[in-house]
Amino acid sequence: MSNTDEKNMNHGEPEIDELTKDRFLGGHEYDGIRELDNKLPSWWVWLFIVTVVFSAVYLVGYLVAGWWPSQSKEYDQEMAQLVEMRKSAPDVSVDTATMIPLTDVASLEAGHETFKKICSTCHGQNGEGLVGPNMTDMYWIHGDSLNNRVTIKDLFKVVTNGVIEKGMLPYKDQLSPLARQQVLSYIITLQGTNPPKQKAPQGRKYDKFG
Amino acid sequence: MELQKFYYDNKIVRMFAYATMLWGVVGMLVGLLIACQIIFPMLNFGLEFTTFGRVRPLHTNAVIFAFVGNGIFTGVYYSLQRLLKARMFSDVLSRIHFWGWQLIIVLAAVTLLAGFTTGKEYAELEWPIDILIAGIWVVFGWNMMGTILKRRVKHIYVAIWFYIATFVTVAVLHIVNSLEIPWSIMKSYPIFAGVQDALVQWWYGHNAVAFFLTTPYLGLMYYFIPKAANRPVYSYKLSIIHFWALIFLYIWAGPHHLLYTSLPDWAQALGTVFSVMLIAPSWGGMINGLLTLRGVWDKVREEPVLKFFVVAVTAYGMSTFEGPMLSLKNINAISHYTNWTVGHAHIGALGWNGFLTFGMLYWLLPRMFKTKLFSNKLANVHFWLGTLGILFYSIPLYWAGWTEASMWKQFTAEGVLKYPNFLEIVTQIMPMHYMRAFGGLLYFSGMLLLVYNIMKTVKTGSFVAEEPAEAQALQKEGGRLVGEGWHRFLERKPIRFMILAIVAILIGGLVEIVPTYLIKSNIPTISSVKPYTPLELQGRDIYIKEGCYNCHSQMIRPFRSETERYGEYSKPGEFVYDHPFQFASKRTGPDLAREGVKTGKLYKPDAWHYNHLMNPQSMNVQSIMPKYPWLASKEIDIASTPKKIRVMQYLGVPYPEGYDQKANDDLKAQAEGIAAGLKASGIDIAANKQIIALIAYLQRLGTDISASPTAQK
Ligand code: HEC
Ligand code: HEC
Repeated sequence: MSNTDEKNMNHGEPEIDELTKDRFLGGHEYDGIRELDNKLPSWWVWLFIVTVVFSAVYLVGYLVAGWWPSQSKEYDQEMAQLVEMRKSAPDVSVDTATMIPLTDVASLEAGHETFKKICSTCHGQNGEGLVGPNMTDMYWIHGDSLNNRVTIKDLFKVVTNGVIEKGMLPYKDQLSPLARQQVLSYIITLQGTNPPKQKAPQGRKYDKFG
Repeated sequence: MELQKFYYDNKIVRMFAYATMLWGVVGMLVGLLIACQIIFPMLNFGLEFTTFGRVRPLHTNAVIFAFVGNGIFTGVYYSLQRLLKARMFSDVLSRIHFWGWQLIIVLAAVTLLAGFTTGKEYAELEWPIDILIAGIWVVFGWNMMGTILKRRVKHIYVAIWFYIATFVTVAVLHIVNSLEIPWSIMKSYPIFAGVQDALVQWWYGHNAVAFFLTTPYLGLMYYFIPKAANRPVYSYKLSIIHFWALIFLYIWAGPHHLLYTSLPDWAQALGTVFSVMLIAPSWGGMINGLLTLRGVWDKVREEPVLKFFVVAVTAYGMSTFEGPMLSLKNINAISHYTNWTVGHAHIGALGWNGFLTFGMLYWLLPRMFKTKLFSNKLANVHFWLGTLGILFYSIPLYWAGWTEASMWKQFTAEGVLKYPNFLEIVTQIMPMHYMRAFGGLLYFSGMLLLVYNIMKTVKTGSFVAEEPAEAQALQKEGGRLVGEGWHRFLERKPIRFMILAIVAILIGGLVEIVPTYLIKSNIPTISSVKPYTPLELQGRDIYIKEGCYNCHSQMIRPFRSETERYGEYSKPGEFVYDHPFQFASKRTGPDLAREGVKTGKLYKPDAWHYNHLMNPQSMNVQSIMPKYPWLASKEIDIASTPKKIRVMQYLGVPYPEGYDQKANDDLKAQAEGIAAGLKASGIDIAANKQIIALIAYLQRLGTDISASPTAQK
């Protein structure tokens, strides 16, 4: 394209590179560096063309023709799927009126997992209490004071709806009812375990528990 | 025609080369430190100056602007003089350039550790240093253009095209991205806010990669590979096409750092397509580098310098293919915010920039000292340590990135997040962090070998400070000659060449930035979004000062895995008062965009934040977040409140008239409230401490639109 000058100006045959048999460009020498007169590799040209075509299609498809969804549409679709998934999920509902603590090993294991993953940030690795109250003593904030007892049903309400002002989160969207029952069942097993570094009691003392 | 005698200035080259080595060692050592901090949080040493949030910007600035920067100048000052058959335009300018740049580096190190930062990645330095950088950069450009104008070679070689493009583009990028209004001798607020600020920042950030880490190094490649191999450049035509395509296309690609964020869809799409179109122009450089070695591959096997070059160019080819792939939305949805990005960046940094620099130093220092390299064997050992280092660095991080992304996204059959606890994911990738640190150690040891080898080489040689050369004076030639191609003509008109390069790079920048600035509909306003209270504003400045953005993003993408984990996805209108934006680019910790939403997924009471900031490991043993105990003893700088409010008003933040004088009353009232609440939870802390302001800010995050989620007009 732009080297015709040298070809015309340096009369005679162009010089050839011995090792590759490619043609040198006459007059192109910079501190001993010379340049060869090779064409653009055709696969490279094609690569370039393909990316340009891709780009044109991409812009038209996304911005003009709407062949592909915008990101907010994509999100709506994804959420719709989630709703479906939740509908067809195995039954994890529990009967809150008759709920009692689970005692089978599998449920307690699952509850322990949830506790470690989520609750321990505030209630301590062993339930000893941090920002949230101690789970191992007999003092509770959310018991049934009329009957002087704390039941899993009372605590289920706390975990489900939270006590936001005090910093206890509602878990109704993050944990299935069954998972909530499991983690509480686990918490109940912590009674009297007497771990180190316990937080001072909060709420009042209850005699009946479970 | 008379033969003129003159001397090349080797002294300045040597100065830059030594600086490259010095800052290389420092920058990499600091990198090693932060890699270890991620594994052992106690290595933050409980001191404000040594926490990850402050040290990480020091690492990135040190390797980019100190190590690679000095590497660029070493190569440019060496090659420019020889390619143009002229001494540098002015020795005085050369010296000002050198010492000015080193001064900038030292100031950068001191101010970053002291917590003076703009909070914008790779542009952290504050306004006085920004001005100094602009000045020294102009000195560099002036010296270079002066040399070009008094050259004794008719045409400027392709390496110099790249140097010119580097000079003009970095100047434009730096100035636009550093537009800021100072409120004190060391601090300022950027004039752009939120999404616009993000767009400008990543237009800059991406092109810092393009025009600081790529184009100058392509220039160096075009000089040092043909010289070291003693072979002609493969194709001049390819040089022309790939040069212009590269600089024109690069400038548009910035938005690929903001895919799936609240940046308008059209800008994101531009970022994607221009990145994809960059594959061929980038590979043009790689081909021209590698094919220049045709015929001498046997030499490559023996000569460590060539080995370094081959790996460098190959790494360049790999990362310029990977980059466009990461710009595709579906891949970016996986890679973004994870360690994958870090791995990608280091293929470029360690492979391309590092190895090209090493090869160049091994080649040029013995020459200037009229001797041979002290030990080829050691250089070979360095080569292998470096190569293994890169592998140990990047492979674990790719793996970590995949692991993180898949754990962030997985749901159980019941339709809830499988790994709701972010920390579990952090813990899962810990082994990969160990391996990465080991890779870094290998690479760093290689760097030390280089220093040793060069020191020995220098001892055996004798330095030629003034290298004699001779060439004929340049004949004046006017307009385009018959049969002269337009580009060949341009090559002997450097000023026109420079202007064309400016035009090429301005087009993309203007198309992207001007519309978001002018068209209001790009950023729908949300009426419930209000300016920060004075206390929150102070808290925000502490957040920036401590560099929390180095680990925490504030940008929830519209994915169910993110809205289930963090809450409603981020809207562009939420950030209109954010000078600067704090989207961030990496989630070492969880996203904080909705941290303050009481009905949200992450809400924590003030007491939790207090305890957590004082000692994150007391809340979660495995947490890798640093401690911030000094925030409970240092006081909020309330004297600055009125000034901050006034600058914000000037930038268009609607505080009421005269509010600057009342702001501190509001600040104190809010702080008292928080302190009283903490007291009720058994925490005794005075209301004037910094931690109170930071908690106020964290509790504000994301709350504006949750009050009325449908307020979007
Ligand atoms: C962000 C911190 C935090 C997290 C995480 C947290 N809690 Fe709490 N939790 C609290 C606080 C604070 C209270 C006290 C609420 C009050 O004062 O009414 C509390 C109270 C409770 C109570 C009632 C205790 C009582 O004395 O009546 C139960 C039960 C409970 N949490 C269970 C859980 C479970 C189960 C999880 C994990 C799924 C969990 N919490 C996670 C902070 C937290
Ligand atoms: C080295 C990276 C790092 C830095 C720097 C860092 N954090 Fe963190 N942060 C984390 C990690 C990891 C977690 C998750 C574990 C935990 O809760 O401690 C976290 C958690 C948090 C959380 C709790 C989020 C939630 O709701 O679960 C908050 C709030 C937070 N950080 C605020 C900050 C602030 C403010 C700063 C700056 C002063 C900061 N972080 C600096 C890594 C970091």
